[in-house]
Amino acid sequence: MKSPLLLVAAAGLAVFASAACTAGTESAPKPPAAGSTPDRKPVTITMWHGFSADNELKAFDDALAGFKRTYPWITVKTTKAIQDDQIIQSARGGNPPDVAMSFTTDSVATFCRTGIFQDLKPYLTASKIDEAIFPKVIAEYTQYEGKRCVMPMLADTYGLYYNKKLMKGAEPPKTLSELTALAKKLTVRDAQGNIKVAGFVPSSQMYENAPIHTGTMVGAKWTNPDGTSAIGSDPAWKQLMTWQKDLVDWFGYDKLEKFRKSLGDEWSADNPFNKGKVAMAIDGEWRNAMIAADAKDLDYGTAPLPVADDKPQLYGGGFIAGTVIGIPRGAKNPEAAWDLVKYLTTDTDAVVSLSNALRNVPSTLPALQSPKLEKDANFQTFLDIFASPNSSTLPAHINSVFNQQTLQEAQIKWESGRAPDLGAVLTEADKKINDKLKLTSGN
Amino acid sequence: MTLTLTPSPTARKAGARRPRNHRRRATLQWIATHALALALALMFLGPLVFIGLTAVMTDHQALTSQLWPADWEWGNFSDIFVKAPLLTWIVNTLMYSVLATVFMLVSSIPVAYALARFRFRGRKLALLLVITTMMLPPQVVAVPIYLIWARFHLTGTLWPLILPMLLGDAFSIFLLRQFLVTIPREYSDAARVDGCGEFRTLVRVILPMARPAIAAVALFQFFYCWNDYYGPLLYAGTDTSHWTLSLGLASFRAVHRVQWNLTMAATLLAMAPVIVVFFFAQKAFIEGVKLTGVK
Amino acid sequence: MALLYLSPWLVGFTVFFAYPLVATVYFSFQRYDLFTLEPVGFLNYKYFWQDEAAWTSIRNTLWLVVVMVPLRVLFGLGVAQLVTKLKAGAGFFRTIFYLPSLVPLVAGTLGFVYLLNPGTGPVPTILNAIGIPSPDWFGDPAWSKPGLTLLALWSVGDLMVIFLAALLDVPKQLYEAAALDGAGGWQQFFHVTLPVIRPVLMFATITGVIQTLQYFTQAMVAARVASGSTDSAGSVFTPGYPDQSTLTFPEWLFQEGFRDFAMGYACVLALILFAVSMVFTIFLLRQFRGLGEEEA
Repeated sequence: MKSPLLLVAAAGLAVFASAACTAGTESAPKPPAAGSTPDRKPVTITMWHGFSADNELKAFDDALAGFKRTYPWITVKTTKAIQDDQIIQSARGGNPPDVAMSFTTDSVATFCRTGIFQDLKPYLTASKIDEAIFPKVIAEYTQYEGKRCVMPMLADTYGLYYNKKLMKGAEPPKTLSELTALAKKLTVRDAQGNIKVAGFVPSSQMYENAPIHTGTMVGAKWTNPDGTSAIGSDPAWKQLMTWQKDLVDWFGYDKLEKFRKSLGDEWSADNPFNKGKVAMAIDGEWRNAMIAADAKDLDYGTAPLPVADDKPQLYGGGFIAGTVIGIPRGAKNPEAAWDLVKYLTTDTDAVVSLSNALRNVPSTLPALQSPKLEKDANFQTFLDIFASPNSSTLPAHINSVFNQQTLQEAQIKWESGRAPDLGAVLTEADKKINDKLKLTSGN
Repeated sequence: MTLTLTPSPTARKAGARRPRNHRRRATLQWIATHALALALALMFLGPLVFIGLTAVMTDHQALTSQLWPADWEWGNFSDIFVKAPLLTWIVNTLMYSVLATVFMLVSSIPVAYALARFRFRGRKLALLLVITTMMLPPQVVAVPIYLIWARFHLTGTLWPLILPMLLGDAFSIFLLRQFLVTIPREYSDAARVDGCGEFRTLVRVILPMARPAIAAVALFQFFYCWNDYYGPLLYAGTDTSHWTLSLGLASFRAVHRVQWNLTMAATLLAMAPVIVVFFFAQKAFIEGVKLTGVK
Repeated sequence: MALLYLSPWLVGFTVFFAYPLVATVYFSFQRYDLFTLEPVGFLNYKYFWQDEAAWTSIRNTLWLVVVMVPLRVLFGLGVAQLVTKLKAGAGFFRTIFYLPSLVPLVAGTLGFVYLLNPGTGPVPTILNAIGIPSPDWFGDPAWSKPGLTLLALWSVGDLMVIFLAALLDVPKQLYEAAALDGAGGWQQFFHVTLPVIRPVLMFATITGVIQTLQYFTQAMVAARVASGSTDSAGSVFTPGYPDQSTLTFPEWLFQEGFRDFAMGYACVLALILFAVSMVFTIFLLRQFRGLGEEEA
């Protein structure tokens, strides 16, 4: 051997050649044979889900126990607190669980288009399930380009929670200016000007205040039909962010941040709304269940989100999304996986009991009409929002996550006062979103 | 636990010979330097102390600006095992660290020995290549390597981090080589005269002499793995049951919704083994660090 | 014979370095998401020029190289110099100064984010108590990188040990001779100490630069923890919080390659990182020029 370098080069070329030839030739998923497990052979399947709060974990374990009673030969091994990027990585890496659940609908387009989740239409046909059991809005966010790669497992809507004791008899606000006035009135500060109790935290970084939820208050649009960004051209975003910034400035950004960073975790018993540290908060319907579990004595009410003063017709609606569940590409036991997915998403009793425990909105029409569905005034608000024609979801977009992150970053820059020109901030967001679209779609 | 440091003998001698105001200046200087050192020491220890104090606060108190724990919540240290699969993460981290260290030693010692002792064409080039791979950021070649492991369906586990250690680690090879060249050739020559082959010479003569360097690289490798975040994030990030302590710790607040007090308790737990081992093996550490700073 | 001993490394070098380097060039002309491979010519390269996040990450990394690296070297040298001057408890102090550099990066970063957290952290509390307004460190883009720098200075121990060894290696006669010539403390430092330890300083600076080009863990963890509540369920975390002020180049590479699975584009970023770090590596290799000769 003359020199190790030669050997290295030769070997390197050999390995490279072999790898380059096989790149990208992973076999496509096979269609289901029977779409179910008729032979009842004992099987263990893995499932990833996003639940992490104690009451959620218990509710979900109960649902799985119900599944086990119906399908005693299938054992489910779960992993909790999973996020989308973990699902995407595992499917791309060829090592996915049999069933995976996502708390957002943001990745549905990616899931369907790239085939990270398998198309479930053949399974639905094999099991003779009619997709008409899903409300129309749900059908929108669980499909992309004609592929149904996930099933809806309960839906989420967003509304306003208010602490009756702190409100001192005031009615929940219906417009943004009412919200501002009330937020100012209910805020309590100490001698140094530090916030003790906030009427409402307007920061976009506050738990559920992301633009995807607040955008419905002004009827703002994300994208044009061709997938490009509409953020800079839709005046509604400017309206929302100007309102938000005015209120942030009234608190003082630094004071607000100091307050926000001393708050308990959103998903723990120390959530500031549970603790009476904020009088009004934007939150999902599940907060009802968490208050029941962690802050039984809290006297609170719920209402639709307030809307822009000049768009009263929007009132009553809100943002709708939901938990989705599917079978990743490369799942080892797709038939048994489908049994679990089918049970959790279409079995009326299962959907109703999950809804009762988690206080999520049921995602099938039979479950919504079920007499077993427990309703109280605070939960009814969310069922009404769900049924409202003014409610909307974010249409599936291939870069949905990126788009939201981009707007969120822009919003933080603006509300912190670090970028003084709102128009420029939003135009910049447009550009980033459109550039990214070019990279991913290749035009 | 301390190593002797030789304070400059000349300074002491000079001080004795000098007139009184010089001596007073020396005293002042003594006070000034030691006061400065003490202040610095407090700043270096401060973060550890505050982490420790927060770790035993109640979750409510950890959200206030109070510095001293009102109630000493020792239960925090057991709570963290309930809140997150900490035990699994510790076992994974240990597996990663131990296997990687053993594999690294088995593969790297012969390479370092060859680079230090054998004469062959391309030896200098090989050494330069070792240094190059040691210096270049791992991110440079991350994509194709990731694809290799994805092909074997090993992404999602820690094996992509452990198995390559069977093929030598550039940093360890370099460090060992730096030490091995300092062992006089006469020792191995003598062994060879006694009829030892190259391999027996390495095992019987060189390895015992190189024990300090081997201890140092083993410790470095072990703690590199123990502390590693990038590697496990890249390969084992998907499935919590394959996570390491670093990965879990980073997710404590963001994913597992754990409060500050418990996060700090877990932080302390992750630091503890490193600090304990350091006190027992301080000398090996320090010697190893010195080897890295070669001129 | 030598080949037999070297074989593990030779295979390792080929599979985990030589081949990947060639493959990185190949993939940089493809769109590849682990499912489909599609040649796209120079699209990935073109996108780099308009990818503002990439340029932000370059500016951030440059900031760290220009500010953090020299500060670390100076501070490490200062602490080492101080330890040589100590007559009592030098070993004790050295142990304390070295200790933080062993603390796992994730743990140390978590600790610092909490320590500097406005409203709850001890540092703002203490600063406010003595009347100094404390910034929102990891929540303010102007202070997040200085915050990371503080963390880097805290773990300066490894540099300190290297410098300490170098300082103790300076021949005593040189100081005596300088003292006889009437040189004071500073003059001795500049005319005796510095020239002798210059190679060690050079080495530390260059390796420091190369390490900073890989700066990842601390920035990632700090941003993730400091952003706190923005990380709501299901949503995917983006590094760089606040305002991409802590977004480093390797982080962006990681994000594009292994979160967005734009692997072709990530390869473009990898090649840029390769080119830059190679420049500094060559600097370093020149220091090693004599290496391998001493035994021959």
